[in-house]
Amino acid sequence: MTLQSEDFWSYYEWLMRPGDFLESAFMQGVVLFVLAIILGLLVGYIVSATRYGPSEGFYAVARAIRDLVRFDLPGTSASRVVALGRLAFKEAIRRRVLFVVGLFLVVLLLAGWYLNPESDDPARLYISFVLTATNYLILALALFISAFSLPADIKGKTIYSIVTKPVRPTEIILGRMLGFVAVGTVMLIPMGLASFLFVTRGLRHSHIEVVDVRENADGSLVGETDYVRNHKHTFTIEADADGRGLTDVVRGHRHVVTKTDKGFDIGPPIGALRARVPSYGEIQFFDRAGNEKLEGVDIGNERIAEGGYGSAGIARVIGLSRGSRKVNHGYVEGGTLGAAEFTFSDVTDSKYPDGIPIDLSLRAYRSYKGDIESGIRGSITMRHPTNNIESNPIAFVVDEYEVDEKILPLQIEGTDNNETRVLNVFEDLVDENNKIKIVIRCLDRSQYLGVTKSSVYLRPAENSFGWNLTKAYFSIWLQMTMVIAFGVMFSTFLSGPVAMVATFVCVLLGFSAEQVYDTRHFIDSNIERGGGPIESMVRLLKQDAMTTQLDVENVTANVIKTVDAGIVYALDAIATALPNLPKMVGTAEYAASGFDIFGALVLRHATATFGYILLAFVISYFFLKSREIAA
Amino acid sequence: MNQSSTLTRKIVYLLVLLAMLFPLYLLGQPAGGSGNAGGSLSQMRLEFNIAESDLGEISPASETMKLASLGLRGVAATLLWNRAHRYRVQHEWDRLKATLNNIALLQPHFDKVWEHQAHNLAYNVSTEFDDYRQRYAMVREGTEFLTRGVRQNTNAPRLVWYTGWFYGAKLGMSDEKTQYRRLFADDEVLHEELINEGIAVDSPEARGPLGKPDNWLVGRLWLNYGYDLVDNGIRIRRQTPLNFFETGPKWRFKHAEAIEREGILDESAQNAWQMAAEDWAAFGNRSIETTSPFTIKLDEIELLQEKREENVARFRELTKELYDAERDRLISELPDEIKEFWQKPESEMNYQQRELMPSILRGLEPNFAKLIPKSDPSVRLEAVNLVGAIADLDQRINKTEGYRAQINYPYWKTLAQAEQERRTVEARRLIYEAEKANAAAELDKAIELYEDAFEIWAEILDEYPVLVIDDSAEDLFESIRRYMVAIDSQDLPEDFPLREFAELMGQYGRMNALQYEALRAMREEGLLPGMNPNPDGEGQTGESDEGDAGSTDGSTGEAPDSDAAPEPDAAPEPDAAPEPDAAPEPDAAPGPGVENETDQSTEGGAAGEDAASEEAPSEVTETESGESADATTTEANTTKDGGEEAESDPAAKATEGEGSSVDE
Repeated sequence: MTLQSEDFWSYYEWLMRPGDFLESAFMQGVVLFVLAIILGLLVGYIVSATRYGPSEGFYAVARAIRDLVRFDLPGTSASRVVALGRLAFKEAIRRRVLFVVGLFLVVLLLAGWYLNPESDDPARLYISFVLTATNYLILALALFISAFSLPADIKGKTIYSIVTKPVRPTEIILGRMLGFVAVGTVMLIPMGLASFLFVTRGLRHSHIEVVDVRENADGSLVGETDYVRNHKHTFTIEADADGRGLTDVVRGHRHVVTKTDKGFDIGPPIGALRARVPSYGEIQFFDRAGNEKLEGVDIGNERIAEGGYGSAGIARVIGLSRGSRKVNHGYVEGGTLGAAEFTFSDVTDSKYPDGIPIDLSLRAYRSYKGDIESGIRGSITMRHPTNNIESNPIAFVVDEYEVDEKILPLQIEGTDNNETRVLNVFEDLVDENNKIKIVIRCLDRSQYLGVTKSSVYLRPAENSFGWNLTKAYFSIWLQMTMVIAFGVMFSTFLSGPVAMVATFVCVLLGFSAEQVYDTRHFIDSNIERGGGPIESMVRLLKQDAMTTQLDVENVTANVIKTVDAGIVYALDAIATALPNLPKMVGTAEYAASGFDIFGALVLRHATATFGYILLAFVISYFFLKSREIAA
Repeated sequence: MNQSSTLTRKIVYLLVLLAMLFPLYLLGQPAGGSGNAGGSLSQMRLEFNIAESDLGEISPASETMKLASLGLRGVAATLLWNRAHRYRVQHEWDRLKATLNNIALLQPHFDKVWEHQAHNLAYNVSTEFDDYRQRYAMVREGTEFLTRGVRQNTNAPRLVWYTGWFYGAKLGMSDEKTQYRRLFADDEVLHEELINEGIAVDSPEARGPLGKPDNWLVGRLWLNYGYDLVDNGIRIRRQTPLNFFETGPKWRFKHAEAIEREGILDESAQNAWQMAAEDWAAFGNRSIETTSPFTIKLDEIELLQEKREENVARFRELTKELYDAERDRLISELPDEIKEFWQKPESEMNYQQRELMPSILRGLEPNFAKLIPKSDPSVRLEAVNLVGAIADLDQRINKTEGYRAQINYPYWKTLAQAEQERRTVEARRLIYEAEKANAAAELDKAIELYEDAFEIWAEILDEYPVLVIDDSAEDLFESIRRYMVAIDSQDLPEDFPLREFAELMGQYGRMNALQYEALRAMREEGLLPGMNPNPDGEGQTGESDEGDAGSTDGSTGEAPDSDAAPEPDAAPEPDAAPEPDAAPEPDAAPGPGVENETDQSTEGGAAGEDAASEEAPSEVTETESGESADATTTEANTTKDGGEEAESDPAAKATEGEGSSVDE
């Protein structure tokens, strides 16, 4: 999993973006609210003015605002909201939405056909499958239940049996939202449990017998398990280990092997489902001459679209922020002064009592064939952040496309200025701010090692997989809540199907926000990449490639490009205003790759969700109010 | 609107609906199993053999997926394709494979998809790994993907062929061939899968000399499976039959070469070459479809030529005087220098003249059709028939020759013959051991072994000059250079058995059989002085026979170039032709005139035959790189793969060069 720079932000950094306030989430929220209020007032006034005339219209709008602030908001009663929520809940259940859970189970049953338990990393495949399946199903469900309920009530006039009671519009809206969220929650829980079972059971396999057991001179046993699901393990049982031993790690898991009277007993897989808690450091590249560089060497690998200044928020919409922000692997040249240096903070002996676990996921690149049979070698050096003290390098052979788990010793030979001695990591290498530098080098001349900020991290702790999956489900729950809020909002003024389509468009735009940003980036920087909607259509019809120049007359091309730019800018503004759903779906990636979902990430999503619910709530209130006035 | 009109409207709707159902029924009625052929769609399915069950293994997962895409199969496949590409760029191999799996489920009968993506995995993705075992695993992944394609498409011989290609060429010719071949030989899990697939890897047919399955032989079994399919009437699509049938026998050659390279130089090697010869002979006797309406057999060329000669002789009998008169006229038109020698017995001709004879004789053949109107009416009908038959034979000969040239058929045939001889294997063994001794710094032993080996090699090359074009010739030359280092001499001794070979290789880095033969022959006839194999040595001296060499040049060196060039369809390969200008110009040469002439006379013998002779070395590379180029069309969009291989190869060569370090 390659993380982008915004993934590392703490909650505060995300909210406030110190130094770049215009890009901050807070700024985005404020702008959104202010825009919503201005637009709301304008539209409200125009609508009322056409109904009641210019002056009466003004009063009507003012009255509505006064009602909200003076009566409806303070007067909203929790018990009435809950009562209305129960009503919505019952109504939804009567509409047999629980079938979706059944559908999910059917999907799980069929999933076995499409998921290959023999793949290199089955856990990842399984987890990302269940999470994405749940995500899309739940979002679709949220779309349906939220968009149709209010319009049906209004059309069937059953709403009058409620509004004639002493309830406030705020309560109606909150009640609906609450009810539907409750329905969603009730469905998410069994889906989550089923997913957990599906994943754990799907990955379970047993090696039944052992082959080739040899006894070494020191009495330890070395053997191999049988070949199941495209892999086998080798295991060692030490002489003094009570007949119990461990296999090696293959495909992310290992087994316990016990020697019994009858033979060998191989346990279930352990370690396949994990939630590593990483501690990332700041990265600094050095070129072959030892100069500091912002990026490593580019070895010319193909990159995914160079666009993507996705996280720039308002700054991007108004054109202040430009350039690509995608993180790619930077390479370190071997046999030179080239290096990637990571500065880790919070390195204390209470966190790392028995060695510092460090995980590497590096890439190797050869500029010449070299010796085929031996892999590219690298080295890890621990270094004091400021003083000239460093450990001797620890050599390793790069293990690509896997998390290579290592433990750095706490006592290690090294040099203190010019003196060679045994260093104690916490005393000699960690500074007073609990920081340490770790330097990764490539040892083979003219071969390269590729790293990003997320490829080297310390691992102070490990969380349980169940808890991590729960967090991933919570993220889905947040998305569902958001979609329900939007659905209810649209259903206050649109008919059922139209409200659903509107919500769907919002979800779709949210999902394709990154593509919209990229398109804008290409238009801004004059990169031919197919252009906006009209240009793309022209290219499709003319069967032109997307990187050629648009092959039409100059004037026409200008017109097309201008109109396209207008459309794309508008889309960009709308997409920025909408929740960035792919980022939220992205939490599944953490769970799937075996990383603990950062608390900051969940908190960010929760904050964004709350903001959007608030917005949707206020808008819904006014629309419902206006309908009541009309009624 | 009143009620009755509403009712009428509804009834009309209903009727229209029903009417529309009727053609739908005619089109889409499923086949009933017992005699009922169903609607026209199902009849067409039956007629063109494209019912799911006719195409290959039925996969419920695939059917479900097709249904679930609600008719938007193409759209779904396109999206997945795009995603697969993204995963490849992001190095998400596991997801790439999962996506490929889904694409294959959506479009299981689109055989290019299997081919392209299998290639993608085996050739492009595999090189992204640093560990050769992971590379092997990915190559295997690609091959297994292809095998799945074969299972699901029983009507696609090209997929089977491609699988055979993977097992042979990918495992046996890549940079990691030593490792791949070893891993494959020990990959018991794969062997078991192959047995389940119907490929008998446990049979002697598939096992190498060490008793383990050999990738080339297993590849050959796959190809044979494909040939069986075609022999049972399935058409070859998207491939020329020649190319399709050539590969299987060739894998036997590759197998023999591979085991020899690995140091197996005993009866097993001889045996392997014998088998290769057998396979090649069988290939030569296979009827092969051509672009013309007839099929040919590559080995039938002599037969066809004999028949043609018979027909011509009969024609001559029928039109005795006319024929001879016309022939005499043609003879009288011959240029003087040809008239001088063409009727001499062969033993009195020099090499170049001998070489010219076939085209001279062909030029003396009258135009048969023109003779017919003047012929005796009583034999005219037979004559017309004969001319027709000759024309037909000409076409066949032409085609056969063209096809033979395309794959350099005679070269492989000779190669198999030469290599299965005990002395060839012995020569190779001596070289192999000499190299080992040399590497171990046992110089005396190495020199002795080298000299023994070169003796035998000289004999072999005399008998089979065609062997000078292949890779082993390059290896041989490398050995000669190492030998020169070992004897610590810049020059080869006068009586060095491979002198001509070393000279040509030293000058051009490569050569063709005719060039070599010409040089040998001319040297024997005293037409040429000795040359130095070391291009940067003292240079060539041409003291002797100045005038003689000059005159041969002037007359025969030009002739074939201008009018007699006989090759109809084998286009000359400009880049493969050795450049005379590229030959180093020694400063110390006695005089520019002499120098030039010596140069040209070397070329003169070969120049006219350029088209034919140059075919040889270029074809070897053609058939291999040509096919792999075809196979690697998809590689165009890879970045690292091509780059890496291109970069790593010269590097590898450079290191080898350093090892031998001849130049100093």
